[in-house]
Parts: sequence; C-alpha cells; structure tokens
Amino acid sequence: MSAKHGYAPRPGPNRLQGLLWALFANAAVVAALIMPAHILVQGVLGPLGVLPSFDRHYATFAAAIGNPLVKIYLLLIMGACFYLCGHRVRYVIHELGVHGKLRVGLVMYGLAGIATVAGAYLLFTLP
Amino acid sequence: MGWHEVTNPLQSSDVRDVPLNGRPADRDGIAAGADRPLRAYPFRQPFNWWLKRRGYFLYMIRELTSVPIAVWWLLFLVELARLRDGSGGYRPLEGWFVAVSVVCLVAAVWHSYTFLNLAGLIMRVPLGDRTVQPRVIVSAAFGGFALITVVVAGLIVWGGA
Repeated sequence: MSAKHGYAPRPGPNRLQGLLWALFANAAVVAALIMPAHILVQGVLGPLGVLPSFDRHYATFAAAIGNPLVKIYLLLIMGACFYLCGHRVRYVIHELGVHGKLRVGLVMYGLAGIATVAGAYLLFTLP
Repeated sequence: MGWHEVTNPLQSSDVRDVPLNGRPADRDGIAAGADRPLRAYPFRQPFNWWLKRRGYFLYMIRELTSVPIAVWWLLFLVELARLRDGSGGYRPLEGWFVAVSVVCLVAAVWHSYTFLNLAGLIMRVPLGDRTVQPRVIVSAAFGGFALITVVVAGLIVWGGA
C-alpha cells in the first residue's frame, strides 16, 4: 500500500486509536458526572452569593488549594475536560471536511496538554 | 430528505483516471484491468451538512459542549493565577463570569444528559444468562449523577463556609 493514498488500514489492531478512545470515554464520564456541580456552585451560585464557594475568598481558596488531594483532584478533572475537548474538536474538524486528521489531532491534543501542564504548574507552585 | 441528498451530487470531475506510474497494485491492492483505468472517488461533503437535519445539528451541538467546559476551566486557571496576588490583592472573577458560567452550565448539563443516556446503549452488564436492561443502566447512571452532584456541591460549599 502506498503511503501517499493512506486510506487502507494497517494489519492488526490500532492500539493508539484504542487508547485515545478509551481515554475519551473515561474523560467524558468524569465530565458528565462532576462538571455540572462545579460550574453551578463555583460559577453561578457562589458569585451570586446564594451559596458559599471555596474560591470566592482568598482564605478559603488558599486553604483548599493547600490540600494536596484537592490539587490532584482538580488536576485530574481539568485534564480530563481538556482532553475531552481536544478529542471531540479533532473529530468535529474532520467531519467538517478538513483533511489531515493526524496533524489536527497533534494540535488539539497538544493544546489540551499545554492547558493541563499550565494547570499543574499553577496548582503545584502555589503554597 | 433522503440520506443521498445530504451530499453533493456526483460531479464529472469526481471520477478521474489515476496515474499509477505503472504500479496499480500500489494504490489499493486492486490491479486495474488492462482495458480499464482505475477510478478515484474523492471525499466530497458539503461544509454545512450538519445544518440539514435536526439530528445532525444536535449531534454537532453535543460534540461542541466540550468547548465551554474547557473554557470554564481556563477561567478557573485565571482565578488560580490571581491567588498569587496574596490575601490583599486576590479578586475572584467578576459578574460577567456568572453569565459565561450559565452558558457553560447548559453545555455541561447537555453533555451529562446525552452521555449518560448512551450508557444503556453501550454497556452490557451480564446477569445470569441475560443482561441488565438498558433502562436500568440509564437510571443507575442518572442516580449516580444526582448523588455525585450533591456530594461535590456539598464539598465546594463546605470548603467556602
């Protein structure tokens, strides 16, 4: 098979593709179960003063972020959401007729990785 | 509208001879007959295919719900960066954050609704010589969603109290 045409599958299972889709499924479940609660309380009810939220005041925010378990939890959730976004947008771009799925994938997964690393830097360099 | 109307009609330029440089088997493993050139059918899908049916549109909306969720986390990172200003300088995000969060919340809830509904379709839980009913799996998924929402919201409120 000529590489320039490239639309015939290689023999054997595509393990990388399987890993990417398994990561997507797990990230989507995590986002589906957890994200509405975060956005509702931290993004809407907290700023409106209906309920207290840990990130509205320095003392409570710093105390929460000071807990290593909270740091790890937040990093895992945001990493899952960034990956979910990268994976889905990759396929949306492909379905809109843009070719070069590998290059688009590298850009989208790369952006998700950069955002996750930025989050890790901010979380773990704070006291 | 039939499915065939979604794509552009075949155009004469779609079917063309493919130069094979004398090695037809290299193209796709099918050798062309000596008297017949190989044909190529290039991908041709209109950019706005997803506007032609309600189901396609909802599919696209479902896929793009992930973008507001990611944007919300980026805004959280902005808040996190402001934590470096110390107790005197820290400012949480302002009122516009509520408006953005409402949009993100709608997207997150739509993602939860569509994805948890799929659980009954994609999960097969063996139970003896049968499998658990899909509606039971979906009910359990939404029950878990309600429980986790209450627990996570409670922890966020407890952390801010």
